[in-house]
Amino acid sequence: MISYTLRRLLQIVPLLLAASVVIFTLLTLQPGDPLDEIRQQNPQLTAEQLKELEHAYGLDQPIYVRYFKWLGRVLQGDFGQSRTYAQPAAQYIFSERMPKTLALSGIALLLALMVAIPIGILSAVRQYSLTDYSITFFSFVGFSTPVFFLGILLLYFFAIVLPEHPINFSIGSFDISWNWPALPTGGRPNIFWSDVTEGTINFFDFIGQWAYYLILPVMTLSLIQMATWTRFMRASLLEVLSQDFIRTARSKGLAERKVLYKHALRNSLVPIVTLVGLAIPNIFGGAVITETIFSYPGMGTAILESLTGKDYNVAMAALTFLAVLTAFSTLLADLLYAVVDPRIRYD
Amino acid sequence: MSTIETINDLHFSEGELKIMERRATRLVFKPLVFSWMAFAFAVTLSWSVLAGPGDNSLVIGTSQEPRTLGGDFLSVISNQAIKTEVQHFLFPDILSVDLDSKDYAVLATEAPTVENKRVRFSDNAKGQRRVEIDFTLRSDIKWSDGKPITSDDVQFFYEVGKAKGMPVLNPDYWTRVGLKVKDKQSFTVSFEPAYYTDLQGGPNAPIGYRPAHIMRAEWEKTKAAADKLDSSKDAEKLNELYRSFFQKFSSPEAINKGAMVFSGPFAVKRWVPGNSIEMVRNKHFVLTPPGGAEKYLQKVVYRFIGNTNSLLVAILGGQVDVTSSVALTFDQARSPQLTSRAPGRYDIWFVPGAIWEHIDVNKFTSVQKVKDLQLDNVKTRQALLYAMNRDGMTKAFFDSLQLVANTWIAPVNPLFDPNVIKYSYNIEQSRKIFAELGWKPGKDGVLERTAEDGRTVKFEIEFVTTAGNAVRERAQQFLADNFKQVGITVKINNAPSAVVFADDFIQRGSEGKWTGMFMFAWTSSLAEQGNLFACKDPVTLATFMPTKENNYQGQNVGGWCNEEFDKLRSQAVVEFDEKKRKEIFSKMQQLWGNQAPSLPLYFRSNPYVVAKGLLNFVTSAYAGGFGYPSWQAWTLGWEQKGAKKLFDQTKYAKK
Repeated sequence: MISYTLRRLLQIVPLLLAASVVIFTLLTLQPGDPLDEIRQQNPQLTAEQLKELEHAYGLDQPIYVRYFKWLGRVLQGDFGQSRTYAQPAAQYIFSERMPKTLALSGIALLLALMVAIPIGILSAVRQYSLTDYSITFFSFVGFSTPVFFLGILLLYFFAIVLPEHPINFSIGSFDISWNWPALPTGGRPNIFWSDVTEGTINFFDFIGQWAYYLILPVMTLSLIQMATWTRFMRASLLEVLSQDFIRTARSKGLAERKVLYKHALRNSLVPIVTLVGLAIPNIFGGAVITETIFSYPGMGTAILESLTGKDYNVAMAALTFLAVLTAFSTLLADLLYAVVDPRIRYD
Repeated sequence: MSTIETINDLHFSEGELKIMERRATRLVFKPLVFSWMAFAFAVTLSWSVLAGPGDNSLVIGTSQEPRTLGGDFLSVISNQAIKTEVQHFLFPDILSVDLDSKDYAVLATEAPTVENKRVRFSDNAKGQRRVEIDFTLRSDIKWSDGKPITSDDVQFFYEVGKAKGMPVLNPDYWTRVGLKVKDKQSFTVSFEPAYYTDLQGGPNAPIGYRPAHIMRAEWEKTKAAADKLDSSKDAEKLNELYRSFFQKFSSPEAINKGAMVFSGPFAVKRWVPGNSIEMVRNKHFVLTPPGGAEKYLQKVVYRFIGNTNSLLVAILGGQVDVTSSVALTFDQARSPQLTSRAPGRYDIWFVPGAIWEHIDVNKFTSVQKVKDLQLDNVKTRQALLYAMNRDGMTKAFFDSLQLVANTWIAPVNPLFDPNVIKYSYNIEQSRKIFAELGWKPGKDGVLERTAEDGRTVKFEIEFVTTAGNAVRERAQQFLADNFKQVGITVKINNAPSAVVFADDFIQRGSEGKWTGMFMFAWTSSLAEQGNLFACKDPVTLATFMPTKENNYQGQNVGGWCNEEFDKLRSQAVVEFDEKKRKEIFSKMQQLWGNQAPSLPLYFRSNPYVVAKGLLNFVTSAYAGGFGYPSWQAWTLGWEQKGAKKLFDQTKYAKK
């Protein structure tokens, strides 16, 4: 196992180098360059002046020179400055955007798994029943629904429709009135962690405000993910329940609880664990559509804005990091597979 | 057969089977109940921004976020319209532009004119005009830290702009500008050679200022490091050095740490990147609105919502009071969801702007298609114009809220000539002109003629615009149908803006990269110099038509050359007498109208949603320099809080 792990780790290095070359080349080959915005807003600039600006930004150098300059800086831990956000690219991605994406995607995944696994079990245990058909129907509706559609729908319903329809009724002489709170239409709260450390607000208020802003984007992401994980769980458990060892366990007189949890569920979770491992890059990479709809300043929108705005340093920092993460998470998934399934052994 | 029934091959009793089902079912409900409890918990902790008259604050929704503020005063890092709009709250101009496009003094004691002897002209040895403009700053103006604003701050601005290798975006300005400081309040700005636009106010015009007492120390260090570098060999390092300097005073982190001070009616309290900028009233700002500053806005929050659909939802949900100059699209502002909820809540204004939608026509005779279709012939272009139902289009798509254009100069520009020829929709006239040019309808209805080399040429013309721009694509279809009526077939060739506006496409009309019509927009600036259609300046010999010879530079992308126009243009830019200048521009527009070098469509109107009760959030095409509703930010206030109405939007916009 150790030699396998070391071999895989060594293989990652040339893989990441190749990935960085491909990413850099594709970024550079896209139409336009970082000076496009300047050209469009300042059409009075002459050819000579534009050449000087190109020289100042290092854009007049060949691609390979620019790549090796970038690689040299990265190996020293410097991802360069964000041309558009006036700060180091690494700081912008890792300190500012990534924690927010982790919060959003991590909570969404956790919530999705917490709901999907039990529902998947229920669906498998009651196969072909009305419950199973209902769950299957909603699962198909769930993963057929485009994220942008669900997001806008939830936004419209919770931020506009619901607050416009307060509950007002009377029971005898008592008047009951309830105004639905309007959930925020996006963004994030106007608070920093430094406000907690400085004592301006308390920790629970900080968590509460963030939770309030995360409700709709988390719902959007997790509802669709729930559908997918439910189907995975159902399929996996059904396969295990039809195995001979389950039949043996029951014939030995084991309690149903033990048969389901200790034997069937554990085995059916093996592919789920692997898939969760492979989903880790997605947690860090962000959900660009959800983040765009809810104006959530996460990794997804950061990558999109850096690509469209030709902010190469930010784009390279983010995409290279995701390449590293993908390489390591696939290794982790393979290793976890061996851990949970003793039949799997690597040489 | 269910799994339970299959399991029952192991002969469990009915009761045991029911227990197994119930246990499996409970596995579902516990997490679901927990999830909903968490949701309810979060909802009960609900917190919403108390906006509006309640706490005398304002929430402005915008679809763009400035990347820098304050310290990036030469726009080396970023140059955005939203940045200028926000900065009107923070750094008022020395000389600004009012709703009627007139200069007025803000931080200066008076606007310089020839009459008050603050503007003086002379000629230099080369016969070029030189202008000197005297300014006197008000003696009571202060930065937000209480320090006075003086000529030192103007001197600092000038010094930084003139620094070796500074990657400024307007190098022509920095080559011509000079500054002489007389004392703490007075200074003279000079331009040589001078253009009439040098007298205009606006952001950093004719000169800017920044807090020398805050920035100078760091600038001296930067300058010392820059002095060791060569401006051509070390251009990249110099660029990084200067960007790093500006960053220290303009990034969100720097602003939040208090690295910058402000001179305007508001100061930044907190900038949450990707979310909002919160500004609070600056007690050191001296310009007081009627009744006292306490009756006007005390807090302004710019809320960034990149997706305009989400921004629309925020407006509908009451979480945004007004929209900025960069917010909703025209279609969204006319959407039933917004207009149906407007009564009693907000007004939707359409402010005629200066963005000119048009179709450039390739007239480079080096391109075979241009010769085949005779696009270099003025009659062909006139025939195309007569075939276009522009009035019908603006009525159908924009409810006539966007004005049909007849020249490239906006009707809101004082230089506009309303008497330019109008090519009203006239299919018969169009057909007549095409017939005169030798075009006849073929068997398929498409116009054809015999070219000089004997070939039969069909009138199939390429039509390019930005893919994904729904408004333009719609207009394109409408016009394609118009052209079909006179026998013209259109070949649509759209691509994303990054592709069509790349230098190797739009600037390469002379090489046939695009061969027919190109629909896009230019901005008709108040500082109009006629460069869009200039070919070659007879005095400076500068060229404006992109060809191989000038490395494809210039805005005259369709390639129109007219000596008379060039001569008039070179006279106009140095004509400082307003009346005479207007006459020259009128001749230019008449000539332009008759020659039709491009096909004018309409001028865009900018929609603004403004909550009822908010006063003085009024704008026009050139207010503040380029249509910023923040042009007199200190007068913004709620009627309910005692603010007085000073400006009326109905004079400058339609609902």
